[in-house]
Amino acid sequence: MYSKRILERFSNPTYAGGIRGGDGTGRAESGAEVVKIYISVNEKGEIENAKFKAYGGVCTIVACDVACQLIEDKTLTEALAITADEILEEMGECPENKHSSVDIALEAVKLSVEDYFEKRQKQLKKRPKNIEE
Amino acid sequence: MARKVYLDSAATTYVSSEVMAEMLPCFNAIYGNSNSVHSYGRDALAIVDRARDRVAHAINAEKSNEIYFTSGGTEADNWAIRGLAHANKDKGKHIITSVIEHHAVLDACKMLEEEGYEVTYVPVDKTGLVNIAEIIHAIRKDTTLISIMAVNNEVGTIQNVKAIAKIAHEYGIIFHTDAVQALGAVKLDVRDMEIDAMTISGHKIYGPKGAGCLYVKNGIKIDNLIIGGSQERGKRGGTLNVPAIAGFGKAVEVAVRDMSINQQKIKAEREYFLKNLKDKIPYVQVNGHPFQKVNGIANISFEMVDKESLLMLLDMEGIAVSTGSACTSNAVEESYVLKAMGIESEFANSAIRFSFGKNISKSDIDYVIETLSKVVERLRSISALTKAGRK
Repeated sequence: MYSKRILERFSNPTYAGGIRGGDGTGRAESGAEVVKIYISVNEKGEIENAKFKAYGGVCTIVACDVACQLIEDKTLTEALAITADEILEEMGECPENKHSSVDIALEAVKLSVEDYFEKRQKQLKKRPKNIEE
Repeated sequence: MARKVYLDSAATTYVSSEVMAEMLPCFNAIYGNSNSVHSYGRDALAIVDRARDRVAHAINAEKSNEIYFTSGGTEADNWAIRGLAHANKDKGKHIITSVIEHHAVLDACKMLEEEGYEVTYVPVDKTGLVNIAEIIHAIRKDTTLISIMAVNNEVGTIQNVKAIAKIAHEYGIIFHTDAVQALGAVKLDVRDMEIDAMTISGHKIYGPKGAGCLYVKNGIKIDNLIIGGSQERGKRGGTLNVPAIAGFGKAVEVAVRDMSINQQKIKAEREYFLKNLKDKIPYVQVNGHPFQKVNGIANISFEMVDKESLLMLLDMEGIAVSTGSACTSNAVEESYVLKAMGIESEFANSAIRFSFGKNISKSDIDYVIETLSKVVERLRSISALTKAGRK
């Protein structure tokens, strides 16, 4: 059912885990599956670190791992531009009925970037207040 | 890979040496067509007759000719539902079954619905038990068939077949049961239990794959399944698979002969497994009936862990288990049985079926528990779901 490549990555995902105090978190769901992508972003607007947590099957874990790999060291704009095809290519063989795994990984990436911007905006709004004080 | 442990005996079993010994001569020594009149044919027929006698005796059928050999459980279930419904359609076109039947029954019912029949699917409670009151409530004047499985294949709950059969007969309705998971696990006596038609299969009881039978009580009308041959009293034509039938007959005989000793062993395995599991792994839930269940099946939910990921990681460690249903779609398809039982989605999607065979040792179980504990913790550490209070 699964290729050796997928299973190897599934059993040893490089990017599994969370980031304490990360800059952005994206949570996506499909059916019963839930994934979270965590990012930390440097001053240049590049994703320095990306991690994931997943409650899902083999393809979901691998898709998240690949998504983290693809967005790491990329700018936020570049991260938002990654496509399902890129993830699928890196995954190798992924059964067609499992392609929604890729969609939720992508969705979580987008939401993590959005979350980063929301947090930044809140920080910026707070700034003038601090100066006045 | 350190070792291999097979905990999927509800899916299939190996063929026991006793059964294999019965089958082997049928491949080359006694290879006649059991329908031929010459000595080769007669020798083969003697083997088929002996197998038929063994099955009939094991389930206490009145006559051996009430046993119709099939290619297995699915064929027998399909035939029972469609054959009984079609042959008795002059009395009515309503059927009652349960929501947790095997797809061999459910899909046959769906097919009948397309032909204009009406089917009532009675619900089950949280333990997987069919509510008898619901069956009585569903009975109509035009009900011709009730089909309720003896033992559920995912959670192992034993249904009150005898009581349901009695009710069916009070209303003059034919009763069929799919007893594929029950044979060798619970006593099956078709006369005492008042069963009109019953499906059994060989490969769950250390017999060969591709062999099973449908018991149909004499006097019960059923349509022919395969035409073009006089085999199986003209109801299921086609040259008989003599080696498989020989093996099936022997497997049924042995399953009933050794039921008590096997069940004692399997019960001990299951209890040892569950005790250690609960000691070593937190946040687990055992699904199914607390006591009205077969010993061989343990359906367990591991909170915060996806069943497919768990199954695959266990497989990589040499442990074979099942998610309890053929999962073909990505969205970690929920088991329709657990769903029907009202098991919450998170638990249903974390459920693994462990089914024990007669050859599992204590050290096998120790290895499974040790591996499970490691693998479950690993998946929980990367799970997007969390539990309040969990370290």
